[in-house]
Amino acid sequence: MSLTEEIKSYALDLPVVTVRDMVRAQAMLIDHLGIETLFCVAGGSMGGMQVLQWVASYPERVFSAMPIAAAHKHSSQNIAFHEVGRQAIMADPDWRGGRYLEAGVQPIKGLAVARMAAHITYMSDEALHRKFGRKLQNRLAPTFSFDADFQIESYLRHQGKSFVERFDANSYLYVTRAMDYFDLAGDYDGSLALAFRGTKTRFCVVSFTSDWLFPTSDSRAIVHALNAGGASVSFVEIETDKGHDAFLTDVPELLTTTRGFLEAAARARGLARLKE
Amino acid sequence: MPVDKMPRHGGRDAARVDLLLVAEMVDSGSRVLDVGCGDGQLLRLLASSRGVDARGLEISQKGVNQCVATGLSVIQGDADTDLADYPADAFDYVILSQTLQATRQPKAVLEHMLRIGQRAIVSFPNFGHWRIRSQILLKGRMPVTEALAYSWYDTPNIHFCTIHDFIGLVDLIGARIERAVALDRFGKKMQVSAPWWVWNLFGEQAVFTLRRR
Repeated sequence: MSLTEEIKSYALDLPVVTVRDMVRAQAMLIDHLGIETLFCVAGGSMGGMQVLQWVASYPERVFSAMPIAAAHKHSSQNIAFHEVGRQAIMADPDWRGGRYLEAGVQPIKGLAVARMAAHITYMSDEALHRKFGRKLQNRLAPTFSFDADFQIESYLRHQGKSFVERFDANSYLYVTRAMDYFDLAGDYDGSLALAFRGTKTRFCVVSFTSDWLFPTSDSRAIVHALNAGGASVSFVEIETDKGHDAFLTDVPELLTTTRGFLEAAARARGLARLKE
Repeated sequence: MPVDKMPRHGGRDAARVDLLLVAEMVDSGSRVLDVGCGDGQLLRLLASSRGVDARGLEISQKGVNQCVATGLSVIQGDADTDLADYPADAFDYVILSQTLQATRQPKAVLEHMLRIGQRAIVSFPNFGHWRIRSQILLKGRMPVTEALAYSWYDTPNIHFCTIHDFIGLVDLIGARIERAVALDRFGKKMQVSAPWWVWNLFGEQAVFTLRRR
């Protein structure tokens, strides 16, 4: 059977993957590459969850860590949004119980709706007002129909459409599920501080003021647990209206914070100064 | 305290003297938490001159960013609410430099400092200084001095105290004064032999090292 045929036949038969599995796979990769320790593990959102998992699973292999717009567990509200997305995919007749590849179709409508819903959670109300407000899309007056009259509608439709070209529907189910199951404290008798006990890793935790998907309170919970363990930790809440997606955009304060943190870590590690 | 709201002392030198005094009271190689660390001036001084493991807590984003950008471990937070999250005995020293008067609950902050650290070092402007007294007494107005250049309506300093008041609070929370230094308005240390009332009248700044009893 060819690889393509094999993938087609799996559909949803593969077990659910967790963030811990992802990190274990990454550790196996660096083993294979002959890398003993990582100077810095950094990531935003689910990547931030991976950062936390890295330190918990392989404390001696992570010199510094930068969880950005992350949380030590996925909140009820976030699981709820993910479930809406998954149901949208599964409600698409072209999903075919997950066996759409065999049928030669794609649940592009369901996946696009899932992306549209998710995309709203990545932005702040403030930024939506600033960028779109109630502005109309290529027309002078509303049509009083179900056409995409408003710019925000047109924008979301575009986001949904372009997403289906680069993302697989079943992958979306698996990846969102991995985040849902993430609860680091749960693996350590409910104590997040235990997950980080005795850690020598240097931390820089970053959150954004307008991020309501992974709000600052989530980052503070991480900071408190690290503090309780006496870890070396910095915490910066960056003021921006760009919402959860801020870490993917050009936010100068994130850059200066990252630079300062990495340079100090490099000095502590005895590495040469980072190039300009 | 926000960096841009740091008390404006009688020139930079006076502020510098205060930091040096505080730094002098810290043993080298110890673990230090600076509460209200501003842009990290004291932490950098401690790290470079005394090799301490220096951590900070600062309320302003600007201050925290400046600290982290220079490689300090600083957490954005509020002394009034976030000290409760630190475990007991986590530090050798917890420092509160020129910030006590800006806290909402100075007593609770001081108690937390002595829980988190073996020792607490507190520096503050003395509201019992004769120049401040004379402004209220003679002008009948809230004092505005070079060192405390805010008007009553825009000051971040909501809980001023005199050296006498502070000693009363130390007694109340059952702490012990290990060291005390007062500076006159020229930034000079006052005679240790001078009685408290002289310090309270002529000391513009005071620095105390406290221990649990």
